[in-house]
Order: sequence, then structure tokens, then C-alpha cells
Amino acid sequence: MLRGGGTARRYGDKAVEAFFFFTAITSIIIMALIFYFLIRESVPAFYEVGPVHLLLGNKWHSPGGIFGMMPLITSTLLVTALALVINILIGLPLAIYLSELASPLGREILKPAIELLAGVPSIVYGFLGVLVLVSYLGSTFDMLTGRSILAAAVLLGVMFIPALATICEDSLRAVPKEFKEGSLALGATEWQTVRNVTLPAASSGIIAAVILNVGRIIGETMAALLVVGNIARSPSPLFDVFDRGATFTSVIAGEMGEVAHGSLHYSSLFAVGLVLLVIVTILNITSEIIRARIQKKFGGY
Amino acid sequence: MRLKILEMASVGLALTLFFTSIAALVLQSGLGHLERFWDWGLLALAVLLAASAATARPWKTLGPKRASMLQADILFFPLILYLRISGLVVPDMRLQLSGLDGSFGYNLVFPFLVLLASLVAIKDALNIHYRFTTKGRQAFVFSLIRLSALLTILILGGIFFTILFKGMWALSPEFLTGPHYSLGQKGGISTCIEGTFWLIVGAMLVSAPLGIGASIYLNEYSRSIKLKRVISIAVGGLNGVPSVVYGLFGLAFLVATFGISLLAGSVILGLMNLPTIILTSQEALKSVPNSLREGSVALGASKWQTIKKVVLPSAMPGILTGLILGVARAAGETAPIMWTAVTFTAMPVQKIYGVIPDPYQPVNNLCYHLLQLIYFLGAWDVESNAWGTALVLILLVLVLNLAAIMVRNHYRKKVSW
Repeated sequence: MLRGGGTARRYGDKAVEAFFFFTAITSIIIMALIFYFLIRESVPAFYEVGPVHLLLGNKWHSPGGIFGMMPLITSTLLVTALALVINILIGLPLAIYLSELASPLGREILKPAIELLAGVPSIVYGFLGVLVLVSYLGSTFDMLTGRSILAAAVLLGVMFIPALATICEDSLRAVPKEFKEGSLALGATEWQTVRNVTLPAASSGIIAAVILNVGRIIGETMAALLVVGNIARSPSPLFDVFDRGATFTSVIAGEMGEVAHGSLHYSSLFAVGLVLLVIVTILNITSEIIRARIQKKFGGY
Repeated sequence: MRLKILEMASVGLALTLFFTSIAALVLQSGLGHLERFWDWGLLALAVLLAASAATARPWKTLGPKRASMLQADILFFPLILYLRISGLVVPDMRLQLSGLDGSFGYNLVFPFLVLLASLVAIKDALNIHYRFTTKGRQAFVFSLIRLSALLTILILGGIFFTILFKGMWALSPEFLTGPHYSLGQKGGISTCIEGTFWLIVGAMLVSAPLGIGASIYLNEYSRSIKLKRVISIAVGGLNGVPSVVYGLFGLAFLVATFGISLLAGSVILGLMNLPTIILTSQEALKSVPNSLREGSVALGASKWQTIKKVVLPSAMPGILTGLILGVARAAGETAPIMWTAVTFTAMPVQKIYGVIPDPYQPVNNLCYHLLQLIYFLGAWDVESNAWGTALVLILLVLVLNLAAIMVRNHYRKKVSW
């Protein structure tokens, strides 16, 4: 520590440090407040409906006052799983292309362009989904309306391609050159090197990115709200992705606008939000742990 | 004798089939002449592949397993033609699985089969060309990756240019400077632009001091590793909290006190931005070398003086990047503010003394305006204004993101310690 200077300056320094300390713990306070308010507002629903019925009841019918989250859970799972498949199938090849195949000039142009597209607001994706995707799917698969679990999955899957591709590209590029050169020197082709050396070495980073993206897909609101159809019933049969559904986020965003403050419906929507928050927080922490572990082990890639 | 021309021809034909089938799948506007072309193309591919396989004489070196796989692949083309002739894949077909609400029509099934066939053909032709070595496999996989990257870029670019070309026609000086009327069918978006502006200003007033302060504490002051860890977990957690949950939080926490207001929306957006700003500022502070700090302290400066005069100026570009990203994020979010700050109003923002906006009033916002227009789509003639709003919104966000990337790249190149 520094000596000298007047006492005033030392007290000034202390005050500054105290201010910074306060700003630093704000994040903790806010995280706690978010949990506190979501729990406080959803307690009446857990109390009146009962936790088992609320979480696992297989009917969500707000005008009738029946609140069971099972239909939301199945729709959300279907949307997320399908969106993730689309996301990985398209995003990972793009990342491999950017990191291994593209010319330096091509990457110089494509990487920022893709990063830019990651910032397109979700409401714009929702708008395009309503005007373009929904009518396209409706006519292609001869559905009643194109609004469906499939539409939401396609939209969310495409929406998060830039996010997945940029993170995966970063972890692919962080794999030390020596690994690749060693493999090539042993006579492996470039593809064999990518498949057997680069991808496995970057796999933890890729898995962390995928988990992060699962959280993003589950938590994405506006795009899902506008194309999923927002009818809270389980699809029958369960794999019927052409049926309309309602995800956690779309139910909250679609119904919260018209509920009376403090009603059971209001409280149940907060309970949905709480479940969503818990799931996403668990996913984020998992992703964080994986990333921290990689950093410890390899110095980060 | 080996005829390379046969291999080239089959690759070329397969690629043509690939692109035409993708186009047919995407456009869904009837097949027309493509039908005939694909029928003959598939037949020609089968013949070409068989011929090039025979002339390249790989059979001896192949082994029975690969040979039978090649034969199966080649049989795939006549199989599709057989399906066509036998009346299974014809224009009025409908493939319906029991219970599904959708079905698969001719315009979907036939191009899909052709797409599969073209992929199989590309694989076999490359394998024959490279005599079934690992190089053939690499050529196939890499061309697949190239094709899929190309398609992705086309999709993402298509999204942007669709909005640009559809929204261009709605833009005019009146659209940008006038308020909307008759439910958004006419008029402009001036109130939304104004509301968005004040929401962003409010959000940055909340998040900039908190975010930069937190990153300074974490990087310059904190000595307890445990506290640092807890804070960074909290920041990571906040970063992942879905935007709709922020909306719920604001509804329960702020709206009860302040009502639906600019103030509540600004605070919520500001808190949502916080992790972005903390994480980027921390990166920036970390990249300032310790020698600068030590030099300053050695000259007798106090810690705060060092931070103020040496560390912060050096880290400014990185911090600025974070702030711009925060602005972009605040501009593009809908869910956190839809119950806390906005109404579909055409009134300009009320000001106290003509300068400061009244924080207790609700405002309009670009995202919320677009959402309302989307809800009105079927009922009223709002489509052109909606495209215009979407274009303004996307341009605003993209320009901000571009600025952030440019600031980052500019200083990354320039500064070397």
C-alpha cells in the first residue's frame, strides 16, 4: 500500500473503494432479488394448486383456472431439442468452415458479418417468422396454420446460429497449432486431423457453447411467442411437431399482459418464470464450470 | 482405361441436381420443367457413375464391402425412378403419418429424394475419382461443409436483405419524424424513436456506473478470491437470465412502486445490460499491463489516481466497446419492457422544463411498436409500416454493433504494449 499523501486523500481513496465494492456486489444483490421476487409472487400458486399439480399437472387452461405445467414442459422440450439439432447441424459446419477452410480474407469479412447478425433483435426474427416462415411451413406441410412447434424450432435454431458458430470457431481456433501439425506430419489428411484431433481437443469449448445455447433457446421469448401458436396443450402424438404448442416463455409473454395483479393466474405465470429461471441458471452454471475446468486444464480452448 | 471426363460430368450433374433441388425445396413454387430434368438427370447419373466406376476399374482394389456399397448407391437412382413410375411419387401424392397435423406433398418429397440422390452421387463420384482413398472422403466432407456454410450465409444474408428491400419503401422523412395514427396504419415512428432513445439513456445511466465500477473493483481492488468467484458466478447467472424473467422481476419489483414508466423500464434494461458491460470492461482492464500501474505508483500516485489517470484511459476502448454493446442490447429488447415501460402511444415524451423527460410516464418504443403492428397484421393494413419499423430497428442495432466491432478492432491493431 501507498504511504504519504494527506489523510483527506486516504479517506477519499477509502470512499472510492467503498463505492466500487458496492457496485461489485450489486450483481449478487440483483440475482438474489430476482429469485426473491419470483419466489414471493409464485408462492400463492404453489400453495393453492399444490406443487405437484402445478409442476406436473397435464392441463393448462387459464380461463378455467387450471394450471399444470406439463403441456408447457413437453412443448418447450420439443422446441428446444429440435431447434438445437438445427442449430448444431448448421452452426458447427459453419464454425469448421470459418476456422479451418476459409481463406484469411474470407474469414476477415465473414466473422464480423456473422457476429453482427448475432445482434439482430429477436422481435425482428419473430416478425420475419410470422410473415415468411409461418406461411412457408403452412403451405409446404399443408398445415392449418403454419404456427407450430416446428416453426418455433426452425426460427430459434436459425436465430442462434451466429452465436453458436462464433463461440465454436473461437474454441476450434484456440487448439494449439502443434496438435494439428503433429497429426498432419504423421500422414493424416486434413479432414482426419479435424475429426480426430481438432474437434476432440475443442470439444469441451463446443459443449460449453452448446449448453449456453440451450439456455438461450429455452429463454428466448418474442420469436417463440409469435410463431409457436400459443395453445397450451401437449401435442398428440408426442412427436407431432406440426401441432401448435406453448413454451414457458410464450405463455408468460402471451398471457401476462391481461391478468389481474395478484390473481392465481398471475401467480402461476410467475411460477412458470421461476421454473424457467431455475433451469436456465443450472444450464449456465454447468457451462461456466465446464469452461472454468478447461481453463484450468489447458489454459483455455 | 480411365475416363476422367465421366467423373467430372457426374460431379457436375450431381451439383446441378443438388442446387436445383435445394432451390425447389426453399421456393416451393411448383416444379415445372424440373420434373423432367430430374428424371433424366437421375437416369444419367446412374449410367455415368456405373460407367466411371467400370472404367476406373476400382473393383479389384475395392474389396467386397465397398463394391456392394457402391452398387447399392447406384441402385438408389433407378429406385427413385421406379417410385415415380409406380405412382408413389407423383404430383397429387400426400404422405400422411397418423396423428400428425401436417403432411408431406409432392413438392417436398421429390426434391428431397433428388437432394439425397445428388449427395450420394457426389460422394461416389469423388470416391471413384480419388480411388477410394481417404482423400476422397476428405474432398466429400469438405465440400459438404463448404456447401452448408454457403447455404447458411445465404440464409443469414437473405434475412438481412429481405428486411432491407421490403422496409426501404416505407422509409421517408415523414416516417421518421411524424407520430403514428389510425392504429399504426399511417404516419411514422417518431414517438418510438424518442422513447427508445430515452430508455437507452436511462438504461446506460444505471448500467454504466454500476458495470464499470464493478469491473474496476474486481480487477483492481478485490483481494479475496472467494468474493471474486461469487461475484463472477452472479454475473454469469445474470447474463443468462432470460429477458422475460427480467420483465417479471420488473413487474413485481418496480411497477408496484413506480407504475408503468420510463423509470421502471430504464432500471430493468440497465440491470439486464450490467453483465455485458462488466464482462467486456473486465477484459479491457485485464489487458492493461501491470508495468503501467507500477510505474504510476512508483511516481507516488495513490491507487485511485493510478486507476483514474493511467488504467482507465488505457482500458477506455475496451470499456467503450462494452458500453456500445450494452446500448445495442437495450435497443433490441422487447420482453423486459413490455409490461414495465411502454404503451402504444402517439404522444411525444413529456418533458420537465422542456429538457428532462418525466420519468413516471410510459413511452413508446421501436420494439414494442413492431410487436403491436405484428398483432394488427391480419386486421389492418400495417404491413408496410411494420417492415419500415423493423428496418429502422435492425439498422440501429447493426450500426451500434458495427461501431463496437470497429472500436475493438481499431484499438486491437493500434495498441501494443
